[in-house]
Order: sequence, then structure tokens, then C-alpha cells
Amino acid sequence: MAEAKEQPRIGVFICHCGTNIAGSLSIEEVKEYAKTLPGVVVAEEYQYMCSTPGQSIIVDSIKEHNLNGVVVAACSPRLHEPTFRIATQEGGLNKFRFEMANIRDQNSWVHMHDWEGATSKAKDQVRIAVAKARMLEDLEPKSVPVEHAALVVGGGVGGMQAALDLASAGIKTYLVEKNPTIGGRMSQLDKTFPTLDCSQCILTPKMVDVGRHPNIELMTYTEVENVEGYIGNFTITLRKKARGVLTPTEAEARGIVGGGCNGCGDCAEVCPVIKPNPFELGMAPRKAIYIYHPQVNPLLYTVDFDSCIKCGLCVTACGEEKKAIDLDMVDTFEQVKVGTCILAIGYDLIPIEGKKEWGYKRFDNVITGLEFERLICASGPTGGKLIRPSDGQIPKKIGFVLCAGSRDNTGGVAKPYCSRFCCMYSLKHAHQIMEKIPGAVPYLFYMDIRSFGKMYEEFYYRIQNEGAKFIRGRVANILEDPTSKNLTVYTEDTLLGRPLSLEMDMVVLAAAIQPKPEAERIRQMFGVSKSQDGWYLEAHPKLNPCGTTTAGIYLAGVCQGPKDIPDTVAQAEGAASAASIPIHIGEVQLEPYFAQCIEELCAGCGMCVNLCPYGALDLVERDGGRQVMEVTEAKCKGCGTCGGFCPGGAIKMQHFTSPQICAQIDAFLLEGGEQ
Amino acid sequence: MATEKNYGNPELEAKLRDRYLYTNDTNPEFLNDVKKVSRTIAHMCFQCGTCTGSCPSAPRSSYRIRLFMRRGVLGLEKEALNDPDLWLCTTCYSCTDRCPRDIAPTDVIMAMRNLAFKYDIVPRNFLKTVQLIYTTGHGVPNNDVNRSAREKLGLSRDPPTTHSYPEFMPGIQKIIDHYKLKENADRILAEEGQ
Amino acid sequence: MAESKHQYAFFLGCIAPNRYPGCESAAIKTSAKVGIELLPLKGAGCCPAPGAFGSIDLNVFYALAARNLVLAEQMNMDITLICNGCYKSIWEVNHILKHNDELRDGVNEVLKEVDMEFKGTIDVWHLAELYYDPKICGVDKLAASVTRPLTGTKIAVHYGCHLMKPGKERHFGDTENPMWIDELVEALGAEAVQYRNKMQCCGAGGGVRGYDLTHSLDITNEKLINVTEVGADAITEVCPFCQLQYDRGQIEIQEKFGKTYGIPVLHFNELLGLAQGMSPQELALDLHGIDCKPFLEKIL
Repeated sequence: MAEAKEQPRIGVFICHCGTNIAGSLSIEEVKEYAKTLPGVVVAEEYQYMCSTPGQSIIVDSIKEHNLNGVVVAACSPRLHEPTFRIATQEGGLNKFRFEMANIRDQNSWVHMHDWEGATSKAKDQVRIAVAKARMLEDLEPKSVPVEHAALVVGGGVGGMQAALDLASAGIKTYLVEKNPTIGGRMSQLDKTFPTLDCSQCILTPKMVDVGRHPNIELMTYTEVENVEGYIGNFTITLRKKARGVLTPTEAEARGIVGGGCNGCGDCAEVCPVIKPNPFELGMAPRKAIYIYHPQVNPLLYTVDFDSCIKCGLCVTACGEEKKAIDLDMVDTFEQVKVGTCILAIGYDLIPIEGKKEWGYKRFDNVITGLEFERLICASGPTGGKLIRPSDGQIPKKIGFVLCAGSRDNTGGVAKPYCSRFCCMYSLKHAHQIMEKIPGAVPYLFYMDIRSFGKMYEEFYYRIQNEGAKFIRGRVANILEDPTSKNLTVYTEDTLLGRPLSLEMDMVVLAAAIQPKPEAERIRQMFGVSKSQDGWYLEAHPKLNPCGTTTAGIYLAGVCQGPKDIPDTVAQAEGAASAASIPIHIGEVQLEPYFAQCIEELCAGCGMCVNLCPYGALDLVERDGGRQVMEVTEAKCKGCGTCGGFCPGGAIKMQHFTSPQICAQIDAFLLEGGEQ
Repeated sequence: MATEKNYGNPELEAKLRDRYLYTNDTNPEFLNDVKKVSRTIAHMCFQCGTCTGSCPSAPRSSYRIRLFMRRGVLGLEKEALNDPDLWLCTTCYSCTDRCPRDIAPTDVIMAMRNLAFKYDIVPRNFLKTVQLIYTTGHGVPNNDVNRSAREKLGLSRDPPTTHSYPEFMPGIQKIIDHYKLKENADRILAEEGQ
Repeated sequence: MAESKHQYAFFLGCIAPNRYPGCESAAIKTSAKVGIELLPLKGAGCCPAPGAFGSIDLNVFYALAARNLVLAEQMNMDITLICNGCYKSIWEVNHILKHNDELRDGVNEVLKEVDMEFKGTIDVWHLAELYYDPKICGVDKLAASVTRPLTGTKIAVHYGCHLMKPGKERHFGDTENPMWIDELVEALGAEAVQYRNKMQCCGAGGGVRGYDLTHSLDITNEKLINVTEVGADAITEVCPFCQLQYDRGQIEIQEKFGKTYGIPVLHFNELLGLAQGMSPQELALDLHGIDCKPFLEKIL
């Protein structure tokens, strides 16, 4: 398209990035080379271009040299493109008159021992960037309004805290939890370290607040089915699983006045089907119509349709007044629109029966730390009495295997990372045993004791002082006496230098943790990556631990990596704060990389419309009955599928136009010569 | 290097001898040699004790595989190779099976044994095996009681190995000679007074 | 109808042919009954003994093992063997040299001197795993070949070490509580009894039997205590070196420790031979150190 083209006046700014770049290639040479490039009127260098003085150099240069394009050769645009675009704008230019050459991540960081090669490559990169900068145009970002609502996936303490913060900030929040009740792992714990607070006791106020906050719509027994859209405008399809039980509101809507479930439990009393209760890790039963425990929120029974035999006894027991049970209920779908989302889906233990040397599931009296929590919890399957699964006797010598499946590079079910909170909960368990069972001695078999947090080291001191025995040695294997079902733990006391064969009544494995099985499906729906260790990937491990690289999606809790309750709550508050910002600003700027139809060239064939993965294109009629393509910019992601396809060359990809890309290729291949 | 105490009293000097470990007591090349011969990442040991906890020899001797791993990492060549416990490993591979760092401590022991042999440190029974293989092809050769037993079973008096086909012996001997194994074995046995 | 035959070059090792030839004879005859044909591997020698030889010079160890492998490559036939120690030498060196170019080249440099070249064209199998593999034989077919079931006997299975460990470099599954050889034993009609610490070493390996006999015997003694505790009538294993340690070892234990167990020790092939109707004479059981009569009385 012919346009009056101004003469390019490009400024090239090269960053040392400390020694990150300057230590591996010659900034001086690249700067001098840049000056020789057509269109370049000034080339500068500075130690840290992103710093305030660095940016001032850019701003001042634009004004002094009347530049109309800026090239910064530095780190990755992922990191500082926004920074330098603002500097460009402050210099008086449209902020899209800026191009970046990544001579760090894509050059100096991978060619650290090739000074000549890296320098030469940097010159290429600057030349390519300048070629594009010469052809950049003014673009206007598009602002779209942000839905004044947020979604939190996961109703554990992390999800609940995030939802409470968002709701308190005046944002309508959908809190979606796949189980019939909120509470998560914290509900399963007896006490929390280091304060030894009763877990459910400190959690209940939060659960109650969540239940009655006017801005929180609590959707339990619900899962995320589909995610469409982008920051500010997510359309979430939710699957409300068939509970088989009506809430009072739902009953009202059906004309049953004063009806609906009130949690009385008459139904469960008569239900003939018994299944293991997953909340109790299978150590206690539940019926096909059930609640996990008496403190569930919402207090509604749920029908497990996989095991329900539809005998209808519960319906009769519920009675004509409440009529709360509907065995013909099916899953329904609801769509909600939100501006931002927080993922807080938590964790599972690894299937530690896969570490055969410790005999979990082969030996009755070997249990996991989570099973221990339920046994020692007053509201658990034994009413808080720690008993041996094999014979119901009270154990006196209990062994704790730390690092069971963590810090383990052997593959299979084992994880190479540290699961972070197991040292602390094993100390807690040791305390609980000594407190509850007179004469009981806990033996903690450890490689290290990681008591890193506030008051944690003091807790370790306390537990040692109370009489727990610490043996520095990783447990090699465990054998079981076939008659007594006692266990023999084999290890070495590395501090004594002697092999140990210690008979225990019971062994607790501090099993490693891993992401939940549904984590994979959920992260793919929301466009979140996972780290090498399998947990959800944060935007930056140090500087942006709550965000992700997908705008509008944030992370809270263990799904991002092993952490304890204080860190989960802290991260949840951080995520809520970050998630509320776009909502409170009310609008979000979209990068103007939109496709644009050059209508004079458009034949109206419509083939691009079906290709667009975002449904952003339509055929519209113009005067004279002619059909041309039109882009809905809010939906367009600038992916280039249509632009690359259009047989007539009628689609222009803004900021990545064909002339711009060709100029870059030509600059690389045809220019250059002797450097 | 341990300081000399020069007290003019051997008893006192022995009792009070310097136990410090100094930097030049370590030989970093030792760790490299061990890694090369064992083909395992011996330097990654974090001393968890799973190996010794799995070891059948540990409960009945002073042999500690974990300690040998430590000596490898710290380059304590003399201590490792001169310790007679080096030869108490039955190579059962339980430690290797369970090591969380995916190291093969058994192979580290084998490597140290190989390195000890280079210093002529080796128990006689190993050298006897070398000689037997060199002369007969077998570590446990046939004998007459066995020959008549074989005959009664309808087997050939000698098995179809080098025993029945001695023409294969030069091949075996050439291989052993390539590494000078027989001459070194003979020499060491002679020095010890066979 | 002719049985489809699986043919293998039979690697003998040392202890089986030269001390317990009944194992060799049994292996050939019992395998034939389930369609496995064992052919002689001419000119083979010591595997070489991994503990004794590998401890001195691993280079010679690789080369001597490779020599044995090349003999089979020249026959164009997979190897089968009946000893865990030989399995470590022959199978492991085959596996290593197939995947490590540097070591293979080094070995071939030496083998050149004797006009041999390791090509990595064959595979190595322990006879017990061939019995277990349904594609070759399988538990059911093995059971079908039994004419004298070992009913009423309790047999303790000793898996040994070098066959299954290290698990990450083998393909036999769980090394903490395997049951597959127990299954083979039960296919013969016997009861495979579980005993404490069944995966512990016999104590013989690594040259320890030769270096410090009483140390190795103390390890064996612990196993004998565990086995007799559950009332086993016999111990079975798949390694003639373990067999030697348990069999001759009981005599040595009696001499040196003053403990008597009198528990017969039978290689799985000897057991299979008995179950298939072979006589004690055909198995040369009289060569055993520990009298097998108490066990034989229960089955004959």
C-alpha cells in the first residue's frame, strides 16, 4: 500500500546488561557497526538500559536526534519490551515504533565462549532489527473493558483466601470446587505447625465467611469444563455436576416451599450402599448419599451416582416436606464471564506403594503422613486414637520415614524435588504421639531437618526437647514380621557410623507430593505451562511468583510448587491483589497485532474465516453488495494464520507485515558482508 | 600433610599423632579416576546412608560403603585403597538398587579395587583366579571326581568349553596378556611368597 | 506334531559343569521337554567371574566376556545360561557394549588380536526367564511337563543378586518382593514358602567367599536361620555359585560355627528334573555336600 514514507531516523541503544552481554561480546564493535547501517542516525550504549538513566538516554536521544524509530539490543522482549515501549512513548513517539534485538538470551547467554562469533551474531541481530524498525508504523492499542468478576478454581485454604480478598475488594467472585465441600487439605489436618492450632478450627471461620460473603458465589461439586477468551473477557463454561440433592433455593424454584436439603442425614441412615470415604482416605465408610464430615460447607448431601443403585429409600426418608432428593438429576452447564482467574487446585501424595522397599500397601502398619493425620484427628475414623491398622493396638515405637519419595532421582513414582513441609509435619506428628500416648517414642529417620520458616527451628528444638529420637539416615528398606505385623526398619545411623535394625510398631511415610491428575487438563484449558518439576509455571520464580505468562491467569498455593499454609495464604493474597488490578482499572489494553483486511484486494472468498482459531473473522457486506472480510479486533490474537493463507495477499498482519518480515530476511541474508 | 611431632618418644608420638585432614591429603584425581572406571556419578553422593543401610556386610564387620563413597568424594585415595574392608563387598547391588541419587556404589567399590590393583594391593584369592583362568580357561576347573560323575550322567568327561577345546586357550591368554594381567599376578604372588 | 523348538547356545560357566554337572544335564533334558533346545557353545570359558575378575581389571573382564559372546554370534544364536553370576558377565557386558561405543571400540581393539569382533547381534537369557516367558514356555506349559509333582514340599526360593539387581538396569520388575520364581516353583507342585529377608545376598559374591570365608558364611548363616524358621524342606536357587555357598557352606558352617541345618539345596533345574521324573542318579545329587534324602523322601 503506497504511503508517503518519511525518511527513517533510527536510534540504536545497546545494553551491557552488566556483564551478561558485555562479558561475552564486544559492545563497542556492535555500536560502531550499528552506526554504519542505513537509516541509523545515532548509536548509544549503557550498562543497564532498563534503568532510569538508561531509559533517559533513549528519551533524550529521540528528542535530540528527531528519531522516528528505536532499536534496543538487550535482553528478551518478554522482559523489557513494555519498559522500552514506554520510554519510546515518553520520547514523543508512538510506542510501537520500537523493535528489540535479543542479544542476551538468544546470543550472549548461549555463546559465552565465542567472543568473535557472538559479536558477529549480534551485528546480524541489530541489522535485522533496524531493517524492521525502518518500516514500523504508528499503531493504537485497543482497549477492551474488563468484566467486573473473577474466577477462583479450587476451594482449599488458598482458593478460599483468594476469593475472600477479591470479594472484599468488591469483585464478584466465582469460587469453583470439584468436591462437594470446600476446605481442601486443611480440613483433613488435625493440628498445624508450629502453633499446633486445630486446623479445622482456624479454617471454619474462613469457610463460613466464604459461604456467606455477598460477593462470593460458591459453586461446589462443580468443575471447569471449558475456557474461552482472554484477559478481561474470559468465558468460562462450568459443569455443575449432578448432586442429586436440591438446595433450598432450587427446591423453592420447583415450588417446594420450605424444602431442600437441610443436612439432617436421614437419607444416609437408610442408604444400603457403603463405599470408602475419600476424605478419610478410605479408612472410614460413607454411603452412596453422603457428606464427607459434619463441618462441610455447604451443608448439603451429595449422591454418588456411580455407586447409587436408585433404590429410592433415601427419597422416602427425606420425606414430602423437604423433597430434597432428585435421583434423575443430570449435570448442567453454566457459563460465566470473568476478567481474571486464579488457579488454586492443590496437590496429591505420590502413589508411594511404587517405592517397594518401604512396603506401603503390603504391610498393614505402614501408613502415609496424611493417613496419620486422619487417625490422630479427633474427628477422624478412630476418634483421635492412634491405633495399628493390623490389630487395633496402640503403638509405642513409631518410625517416621522422611524424604519418602522426595529428593529422589530414580524416576518412577519418585520426585527429585523436596516436598518442603514434610519435615515440619513429621516433627508435629512426633509431638502428637508423645502428647497422646504415654511412653511412646517417635523415631525420625531423616537426611536433613528443614525447619526453615518463622518459629520452625524453635519448633524443632521443642520436639527434640520433648524426647523425639532423631536418626540421621535414609531408610533403606522395611520388613514385616508375619505374626506380630511389627516392622523392622533398616538404615544406617550415619552420625554413629553403624547399621541399624530397629523394630517398630508402626511406620509413617512422609510421602512426596505431586500435582493432581486433573492439573494437566486444567492448565491446558487456561493456557498455563508447567515447570520441569511438573508444578504450574509462574511468570518469574523470584519477581512474579503469583502470575503466569498468560495474561489474566494467576496461581495460588501448592499447585505452583510445594509450600506450607502460611506461604499458600500469602501467595493467595498476592494472586488476589494481582487479579484485582485489571478489574479495578476497568479496561485492558490489547496489543494491536491485529489482522487487517485490505478491502480493495479482498475477493470475499471467506476461506480465512474458517481458518481463524479464535473466530475473529466474518464476511460482511459493503455498498454494492460486495462481500469483504472484517476483523473483530478484540478476538484477534495476531497469530497470522489468515495472513499467511490469503491467496490474494489482502490481509495485513499489523506490526508483522510481509514487507517488514521480508526486509528482515533480506537484511540478514543479503546485507552484512564483511563485518 | 600431618605435622610431625618430634617428641623423641615414639609412644607419645603415636598416641598424639596429628589426626587433622589437610587440603593436600586429598587427591582430586582419585575422584576422577573412580568416576571414569566406575562409569557412575560418584561425586553426587549426599551421604544419606541408604547404601550402608542395605548392605549385608555392614552388620558383621567394619565395612561401610557410605564411608568409601565419602573417601571417593574427598579424594582420600590412600585411606580408601589401603582399607582391607574394600574387599568385603559381595557386590549384591542392593545399595545401587536403592540409591536415591542414582549412583552405583557397588561399581565405585569395583573401581577402587581396580585402582588398588594398580598399586599391587589385592588379596591372593583374586590372583589365583587369574592364574586358573589363564591356564585352564575356567575359574573353577574340572577334576577327576567330577569327570567320572559327568560320564555317569552321559555327559562328555570334560564340558564343551576350553576343557574340551584347548585350541581356544591362546585366545584367552592373548587377551589377558594384552593387559599384562598374568605377569602382574605372578609377580605379586611371588613377592608375597606363594 | 513336531514341537516348535527354541534353540539357544548353552553357556555353561564353571561351577555347574565342573562341580554340579547334574544341573547341566538337567537343564538340557528338562528344557527339551518344554521345547527349548540347548546346543553346546564350543570353546567358551569362564564368563569371567564378575566379582573375582571384575575386581581386578574391568577391561579384561569386558574383553573376556565379549569373547564368549562372539562365539555365540558366530553361531548366530542367542545364549541361555543357568547362573546369575554368568548372567551379570554375559548379559550385562552384551548390553553395555551394544550401547557404549567407546567401550565397544576398546574391546574390539583387543579382540582384533585374536581375530574376533564383537558385533552385538545376539541376546542373552537366563534359562529361568525363558521358562517364565509365555512366548517361549510359560508357567502353564512348565506345569504341564511335570510328571512327579513335588506336592507336600515347602521350598524356599533364593533369587540371588546378579540376575535382578540393579532393578533400573534389568527388566525383571520388583526387586524387593518378586514372586516369579516362586510361581515357577509352585508350577512344579511345591509350596513356595516366604521367609524373612528373602532378597538378601548369599554372601559368596564379589570374591568374598575366597577372601574371607567366615564373613561370607555368616551371611549365609543368617539366611539359613530365616529359611529353617519357616520350615522349608529345601532351598532352591538359579545360581550354582549360590548353590555352592549354601551346599558346601552348610558343611563349613558346621565345622566353623558348630551349627547344623541339613537343608538340601537344589538348583531350579535339578528341581524341575525331579518334577519331570528324572532320578536322583540322573541328577548326580550324590555330589551335593548336603544329603538330599530328607527332601527326596517327601517326593519319591
